[in-house]
Amino acid sequence: MGDGTAASTTNRGHSSSSNKPEWLQQYDLIGKIGEGTYGLVFLARTKSAANRGKSIAIKKFKQSKDGDGVSPTAIREIMLLREIPHENVVKLVNVHINHADMSLYLAFDYAEHDLYEIIRHHRDKLNHSINQYTVKSLLWQLLNGLNYLHSNWIIHRDLKPSNILVMGDGEEHGVVKVADFGLARIYQAPLKPLSENGVVVTIWYRAPELLLGAKHYTSAVDMWAVGCIFAELLTLKPLFQGAEVKAMSNPFQLDQLDKIFKVLGHPTLEKWPTLANLPHWHQDVQHIQGHKYDNASLYNVVHLPPKSPAYDLLSKMLEYDPRKRITAAQALEHEYFRIEPLHGRNALVPCQPGEKVVNYPTRPVDTTTDFEGTTSIQPSQPVSSGNAAGGMPGAHPSNRSVPRPMNVVGMQRMPHQSMQAYNLTSQAGMGGGMNPGGIPMQRGAAAQAHQQQHLRRKDPGMGMPGYPPQQRSRRF
Amino acid sequence: MADFQTSTHRTKWIFTPQELAEKYSASNQRAIQILEKYGSTLMEVDVDGSLSYPEPHIAAKDSAEKHSRTKPVNIEEEQFMRVFYENKLQEVCNNFHFPHKIQATALIFFKRFYLQWSVMEHHPKNIMLTCIYAACKIEENHVSAEELGKGISQDHQMILNNEMLVYQSLEFDLIVYAPYRSVEGFVNDMEEFFQVADDQFQMLKGTSKMEVDKIMLTDAPLLFPPGQLALAALRNSNAQHKVLDFERYLRSMLSHQNYSRTVQELLEALDAVDSWVRRYKFPSEKDLKHINRKLKSCWGQSSHDESKKREKKSKHKSKKSSNETHAPSHG
Repeated sequence: MGDGTAASTTNRGHSSSSNKPEWLQQYDLIGKIGEGTYGLVFLARTKSAANRGKSIAIKKFKQSKDGDGVSPTAIREIMLLREIPHENVVKLVNVHINHADMSLYLAFDYAEHDLYEIIRHHRDKLNHSINQYTVKSLLWQLLNGLNYLHSNWIIHRDLKPSNILVMGDGEEHGVVKVADFGLARIYQAPLKPLSENGVVVTIWYRAPELLLGAKHYTSAVDMWAVGCIFAELLTLKPLFQGAEVKAMSNPFQLDQLDKIFKVLGHPTLEKWPTLANLPHWHQDVQHIQGHKYDNASLYNVVHLPPKSPAYDLLSKMLEYDPRKRITAAQALEHEYFRIEPLHGRNALVPCQPGEKVVNYPTRPVDTTTDFEGTTSIQPSQPVSSGNAAGGMPGAHPSNRSVPRPMNVVGMQRMPHQSMQAYNLTSQAGMGGGMNPGGIPMQRGAAAQAHQQQHLRRKDPGMGMPGYPPQQRSRRF
Repeated sequence: MADFQTSTHRTKWIFTPQELAEKYSASNQRAIQILEKYGSTLMEVDVDGSLSYPEPHIAAKDSAEKHSRTKPVNIEEEQFMRVFYENKLQEVCNNFHFPHKIQATALIFFKRFYLQWSVMEHHPKNIMLTCIYAACKIEENHVSAEELGKGISQDHQMILNNEMLVYQSLEFDLIVYAPYRSVEGFVNDMEEFFQVADDQFQMLKGTSKMEVDKIMLTDAPLLFPPGQLALAALRNSNAQHKVLDFERYLRSMLSHQNYSRTVQELLEALDAVDSWVRRYKFPSEKDLKHINRKLKSCWGQSSHDESKKREKKSKHKSKKSSNETHAPSHG
């Protein structure tokens, strides 16, 4: 480290417009793989000899528009990623600064898959459920990453299928990486309520205490989300698919709570003593206390025998009282993980012979977009070479994959990575040993993109039955 | 983040006194070479965040003579400047009623920044304000640059221009551990260990925090982990109030934790922290005047017009000059 920092100032390649900044020359840009409120996510390959051809996801953060310097989201994500190296957490391999527009580029190890796409593939293309080995392995690794975060006092706050990445072919094939830490917080300090951050996150995975107006959150909110994701892995459908109330500052989400109560039954003070203190429950403007929900039966929804270990674990994750909800550490010890099939490191490829291996499609890449987000002339590279070759059942016939409807991909935020290697210092940073890891997608995109998202959301049909755009979340 | 053991703070930013001296010397040397080469040292930070060293003066001969009169500041004087602005930093934070944690973070940022750079290269006033701004952002106590600038009648654009430079110089290691929390933790622990009245502990806590304030102004935060800084502060505070048997506490603490150090080693570390506090020297008025005069000439501010001109020109030539910045940093 050291003095290099000083030196890295040079990126001045922006004489006029299209000159590639120096740091960019170490990559072959393949194309855009996602976009969201904060910027774009690109797929690139390294050129350096050591890691030639290695896939990297580059998440570009735009400078915040309010004229107040470097995006706090980017800074927060970077600073956390620097401190948390873990196999099940995305790996940030480098940070680049483009001085021309003061934008930050976070380079992550690329992950080919995410749970959103895996679930969608099973639901829409294969029409059959995910095998038990894969579900269990995905869940175990997700919990393992989360346990690490929680024991480091970090709450993710925005877990959802699109933020849970899975590595494609390679040494880490089938390894889960928790990504997108833009909303994550260290919770030693009192956290500001979501609304104060002006944050918009998807409500489907939001814990009931938050929906009822709790001002402080605990790591239990992440466990609720894991429960929702677990159920979704089992059924291929979001468990609590409430219609979101759009309004300024964290409005009461009646429909979301209604969906939860229908499945889990009415919460009661016996089961959840602190319920009475939660503002939305207490004020009860919309008379939610008076609703009656009969026949609540989670096991019917998820089609699990009520006595099964899987059901037991799921119901403990979906415990109303956050203080009684199972923790990540406890969940890892649960009986579910001790019975056959046992979980494995490569979640996508079962060790048992006879199990069918699913070839999941690779991420579509929009090869017409350059780093500036503008369309370029660059002929499409042999993009799909590596990637596409593998899987892509049907979906993308041509060589060049079609960008997905924005929702899909884009949203995840970048992953983080472990940090150590950041070599920010010189542009060259990446060279070193980067490992596999991260995945990127980000959510944020340009303003325009953002608007589009909104438009899309309003469109009821959305073309994806049941699947909302991924909610990308946050913005300031 | 709870795990200090694996943190960048512990693994990258705690140095030996010798390493520290080498770093200070290296950036001082680099700035001196630049002064010799270009006649001034202040780097320009453009709106776009890029840096460039000053243009060499055009009238090379004339200026050669002039340069010979421009004296660089030495290592001790650099230290004085840092000390002066660290005090300013505390003042500004106090005026804004920022929490201790923000002040401590900003101070650590400032110290780390000047491990990479000489005060001749970046004006410590600007860096101090930018560090405060960055600390607010990191600690989620967001204050707009404009608000901060207004509060101290400074141009906030300067803060924004320097922001990226600061993150970069900190290598994006932005989570730092201040001793204030450690003090809280130790006092809580002591309360369980000793049966002493609560108000005694409150007093101990209060003076310990003032001791930490003093420690934070020295180089000790770059040399010792926050827990040791906190213990040094507590020991001094306890020496004033005589609340408890400090060594007994240390022994019991070490025996309870799998701490590889002996009490003796720990005491030596605390003594070392104390000695940094004792050696702390604030520059006199006269020192400051003298250093400021030198710095001004290093910054090429003796002739106002000239620096103005340079600003304009840099737009066109900065590309070239910025390429040159690479070399000196390794020098």
